[in-house]
Amino acid sequence: MTPIIKVNNLMFSYPNGVVALRNINLEINKGEIVAIIGHNGSGKTTLVKTFNGLLKPTSGEVLINGVSTKNENTAKLSKIVGYVFQNPDDQIFNNSVYNEVAFGPGNLNLKKEEINKRVLNALEIVGLEKDKKMHTLDLSLNKKKLVTIASIIAMNPEVIILDEPSSGQDHEGTVKIEALIKELQKNHTVIIISHDMNLVSKVASRVIVMWDSNLIFDGDKRTAFMNSDLLKKTDVSPPIITQLAQKIKGFRKDILTADEFIDEIIKLKK
Amino acid sequence: MDILKFKNFSWTYEGFNTPIIKKINLTIKKGEFVGMIGRVGAGRSSLCSSILGLIPHFYPGKFEGNIIVDGVDVETSSLSKLSTIVGLVFQSPTNQLSGAGTTVEEELAFGLENLGIQRHEIIKRVEEMVKLIGLEKFSSRNPFELSGGQQQKVAIASVLIMEPKILVMDEPTAQLDPLGTKLVFDLIKKLASKGITILLNTQNVDQLAEFADRIIIMDKGEIAADGDARSILTDITLLKKYGIEPSQLTTLSYKMKEKKLWNKPLCLTMKDAEEMVCEVMKR
Repeated sequence: MTPIIKVNNLMFSYPNGVVALRNINLEINKGEIVAIIGHNGSGKTTLVKTFNGLLKPTSGEVLINGVSTKNENTAKLSKIVGYVFQNPDDQIFNNSVYNEVAFGPGNLNLKKEEINKRVLNALEIVGLEKDKKMHTLDLSLNKKKLVTIASIIAMNPEVIILDEPSSGQDHEGTVKIEALIKELQKNHTVIIISHDMNLVSKVASRVIVMWDSNLIFDGDKRTAFMNSDLLKKTDVSPPIITQLAQKIKGFRKDILTADEFIDEIIKLKK
Repeated sequence: MDILKFKNFSWTYEGFNTPIIKKINLTIKKGEFVGMIGRVGAGRSSLCSSILGLIPHFYPGKFEGNIIVDGVDVETSSLSKLSTIVGLVFQSPTNQLSGAGTTVEEELAFGLENLGIQRHEIIKRVEEMVKLIGLEKFSSRNPFELSGGQQQKVAIASVLIMEPKILVMDEPTAQLDPLGTKLVFDLIKKLASKGITILLNTQNVDQLAEFADRIIIMDKGEIAADGDARSILTDITLLKKYGIEPSQLTTLSYKMKEKKLWNKPLCLTMKDAEEMVCEVMKR
């Protein structure tokens, strides 16, 4: 099967000559949930911007469903790869929740009934059916985030990229986002950019680590959280329960939850 | 000594019918490290803004009750007077840095120059502050060319150098990456050990568990709970009620209690949890 995203020897430098991505190779397959982590300025956002054609490779190539982004425009690519901004206020500009979510599909030459169907479906997925007439300015930050995600769902892209989905959210907002990401995975490939290791450990199975414009790790999250050199280099702390397990002699070093921790205690005490 | 006192304080932003803060009564003593936590929209940021006097002197609205900061009445005082008593650190360093200085040193000197402090005193304080925040190597760099974490340290330093009696931090690491968060918390740890009165507003229970003496939970504009950090942060029922996720370490000890593996108080810090696991494994 053709990977939905395939990156070959990708280099990207900005017009001023600053190199932002060096020799990146990766493949993302349909239905995966991938987390991209790393410092600010390590190249995470630049990388995902090459997926929807906002940025074109300086050398190397990015293939979406086997087709190079080089000669495709962003309008066409955004039907396949949808990007949800970190800050909802950078994305929201319509007055009502309904109009905000309808804006994207409204540009896809769809029939009115189809647009309406997509908007209602997207609002149902994020749980905002009752808020469709609300003014976007009157929404809490938690709900604003959900509106921006709904407006991408309504475009029905194959890939959904979420940039820092839990930033500025309280615990209840984060729990909703976690459930939503798992729901999205049923019909979409999901890529999240996040500093929130609790979120990463809960929703992603695969982690890509960027450091200084390079991809320095691509693999299972548990392997990443056990790699102390990698964590030190990127200043990432694994979830606090993982840190605890790593301090205790004889314990598995890749424990991610309280339940796993208790199982380990019971196993070792036998 | 009480350094901050709210008496029946309510605040309604202009254009709104209902107050965002409702009849708050709260007293903070000199030297306390108070953590504040709660849902988005609970009124935490508004409370932070009111201590410096941004409410009511910058934002329009209806102010009721009193706020007394180090003996000064916020409502009748001025922002410039209050800024000599209260330091407020915002979420984003770009909102804080004045841009008046082209180097870290000049940025730090800016506030002191406005107070008409002697040149030799300014130089001395700037040098001390650069050392305290660990930015010696960057003192002649432009603050806007530094990383987010370093910028936030400069922003905190620009507040601290005014020698405020109370330091209020409104989600100071919400926009920082893990490195930036670590840099800022190393600095907060240093400040806490110096005995400065601190009010820290954050979503991160693990950070509060490490530093705070006392925790306030806000909910719908009111103080829903107020008590010592350990008893509040290990009260799982209380935290859940106000939408706060307990530390994973507290959850672990709670679940171990349910399974009859543990029968002592719930854990809060890494040290507690390590001791608990050691004890359980020895049995």
